Amino acid sequence: MMNLSHLTDFSDRLPPMLVKELRQGLRARTFIAVFLALQIMLGIMLLFASASDASDRAGSVVSGMIFTFFAIAVLIVQPLRGVAAIASEIKSNTIEMMVLTRLSAWRIVYGKWVAIVSQSALILITIIPYFILRYFFGGMNLVGEIVFLSLIFLTSMALTALTVGLSGSSSGVIRALIPLVATPVMFFGMIGLTFGGASRNLIESCSLDDREAIIGIVFYIISIVYLGWSSLTLGASLIAPAAENHSTLRRCITLFLLISLMLVTLFYSLQKEAVVLLMMVIVAPALVLALTESPRIVPLHDQGVGKNKPVRRIFRLFLQPGLAAGIFFSAGVGALVACITFLHPDIAKDQEMHLLILALFGAFLLPAVVQSFTFKTDAQRIANYILLMVGSCILTVILATLSQAIVNREFLWLFVWNPLVFIIMESRSEFDGPDLLLALLIVNAVFIILLFIKAFMVMKAHRELVSRSAIK
Amino acid sequence: MSALKVSGLYRYFGNLQAVNGVTFEIPHGSVCGFVGANGAGKTTTMRILATLDYPTHGAAEVCGINVVHHPAEVRRLIGWMPDHFGNYEHMTVLEYLDFYARALGYKGKERRERIHEVMEFTDLVPLADRSSSKLSKGMTQRLGLGRALLHDPQVLIMDEPAAGLDPKARIELKHLIRVLAKEGKTIFISSHILSELGEMCDSLLFINQGRIVHHGDAESLRRGSDTQGGVLYDVRVDGAPDSLSDWCILQSNVQFLEARKHGGRIRLDTEDPAKAADLLARMVKDGLRITEFHREERNLEDAFIDILGRLDAGQSAVAPPPLPE
Repeated sequence: MMNLSHLTDFSDRLPPMLVKELRQGLRARTFIAVFLALQIMLGIMLLFASASDASDRAGSVVSGMIFTFFAIAVLIVQPLRGVAAIASEIKSNTIEMMVLTRLSAWRIVYGKWVAIVSQSALILITIIPYFILRYFFGGMNLVGEIVFLSLIFLTSMALTALTVGLSGSSSGVIRALIPLVATPVMFFGMIGLTFGGASRNLIESCSLDDREAIIGIVFYIISIVYLGWSSLTLGASLIAPAAENHSTLRRCITLFLLISLMLVTLFYSLQKEAVVLLMMVIVAPALVLALTESPRIVPLHDQGVGKNKPVRRIFRLFLQPGLAAGIFFSAGVGALVACITFLHPDIAKDQEMHLLILALFGAFLLPAVVQSFTFKTDAQRIANYILLMVGSCILTVILATLSQAIVNREFLWLFVWNPLVFIIMESRSEFDGPDLLLALLIVNAVFIILLFIKAFMVMKAHRELVSRSAIK
Repeated sequence: MSALKVSGLYRYFGNLQAVNGVTFEIPHGSVCGFVGANGAGKTTTMRILATLDYPTHGAAEVCGINVVHHPAEVRRLIGWMPDHFGNYEHMTVLEYLDFYARALGYKGKERRERIHEVMEFTDLVPLADRSSSKLSKGMTQRLGLGRALLHDPQVLIMDEPAAGLDPKARIELKHLIRVLAKEGKTIFISSHILSELGEMCDSLLFINQGRIVHHGDAESLRRGSDTQGGVLYDVRVDGAPDSLSDWCILQSNVQFLEARKHGGRIRLDTEDPAKAADLLARMVKDGLRITEFHREERNLEDAFIDILGRLDAGQSAVAPPPLPE
């Protein structure tokens, strides 16, 4: 018998995807390059710091450098490795062979993500000796720096989840946009944090000695975990066979979180900014995912719901995978957002907040409306949606710049089809608040009506298709 | 119970009708070839059977299990080989199979034994440590077959496995399929190369524009009639070959097609064996000294074209003969 002993290098208990990805990933040039470059940079930096006379200042410089190098490695390079994670499998037609094993689409995506995250963890472990050395330079905020490091790692996990999830999209444009846009933003952001001194303030906030800071950290962790999970489910639904249902659980979790937030709002007095922020964190991925689902309706999805007619009807209307149910679900989410808005005493009275919430909600509807009535093909829905969303944001920025340069700002009324424009208008004194709110309500209502029309068209087409093949 | 059973299967992609009421059954332990032009609906039908797509209408079963309602159970019964697939960088052949064996739930010693069996069967042992991304097309197909066989499936669904293979690799693949057929596996295989399918398949399914236009064994196709219902005979005579052509001119239901050294090819306008016997009797009675008279077998490509010709002419496809036991 041939020698198969080296197949025991990974335990049977480890997920197969993790084993595969680690075998491949640890031999990949990118990982080896990042790993070696980080060690060399940190080694050189420590040598220079040790040679320096001012040891107090050297300590904070060393901390800053460690955070910068670590952040570049785990917030830029490692997440970018996820951009091709699923795309390469789709391109080489191996994803279907995996789906036919006992691996579900979710386990495939999760395995890809865990593999990159575990390599990031390896990088994290290798910088610990540098931290220990840095301790001897003195002036170290131990708790703050450890929490800050952990938050960077958690953010890296979420960003990796985002890139892995989006890599399930067949659009090369989106996969190219991520490194093109994200890399400079993250790079200069981190340089700014390090040399602008903001990292020191962040480390101070992470010291866990302030109740508000602790709540902020907890909210941040919950938010990035939810965003990361949403991204991974997006990846799973992009690669799963049509018969697999990933939407129902995702939508139920969104509803659960929104209802929980509503209850919390009822019984506790949370800050209105925090409520709006949390609401948007919950709603944003849910709306993007629901409004970019395929128009195809797979009839077998409702078979696991049971025979209870009202339950089945609710399932078909709001929770069944597909664009039609996604549109009704989004409308339901909108209703819940309205409930939270009016249940919170401070938000209920604040017209500016109403306008902000409505503008942001409308901003998620606009790309779906454009996509539904202009794009003929079913392919690349998520990519088209994201590109349209980016387009509307760029337009808003241009209009904001123009509105500062031009005295007569009435021209902004021409762009009210882009709900984000209302945020600019609201900040200018010549526009009347109640008028703006009414106009924004009308714009959102038009969007919802158009989306409902699309949903009914999809349902009608599906009924015709089924009856056409049934007659034959 | 059939290994594969498809009834009234429809699949629409928007307004495009990829599969149009396909119905067929394939018994256990048989090798069935699936033939059709590009876009005829072969891959869509196979993908539905492999649980990778779903029908708009109709049912498909593998060993009695519905592919739509119980995809996980069906996946345990089938091995799927797509028409093309890539391999992984930074991964050896052995690690490739190890990954799929793990993904299929094999553990420890059982996993290593299963990998070893499959590698021996597909002759991959010498390639064990070679990078899976640096294999030739033939080796890649063997690796793909090995992967599809890891969980010892009852049914193998192979979409164009011989496409792009050199003659040697084709012979090797054909040999492996024959061995698998002898082991009792049901094999459903699509190909453009009809002659190859004819050699290894118990039955052939012809699909055109999403419809099954013929289901029968290769032998019956080769011996079948042409588009107009005529049958070819190779006739040899003792003496001048002209005597045969001259005789044919005088017959209403016989056509002389081609002169050969000792006779020629003739076409009888019916496939009724009694008429063929009459024809031979008439030849002998009229003084032709027949030394050889046998029905000419058509190649499968001609048979396929004849079936399509019949459809174009508005005739229904030939009624499928009984399936092989």
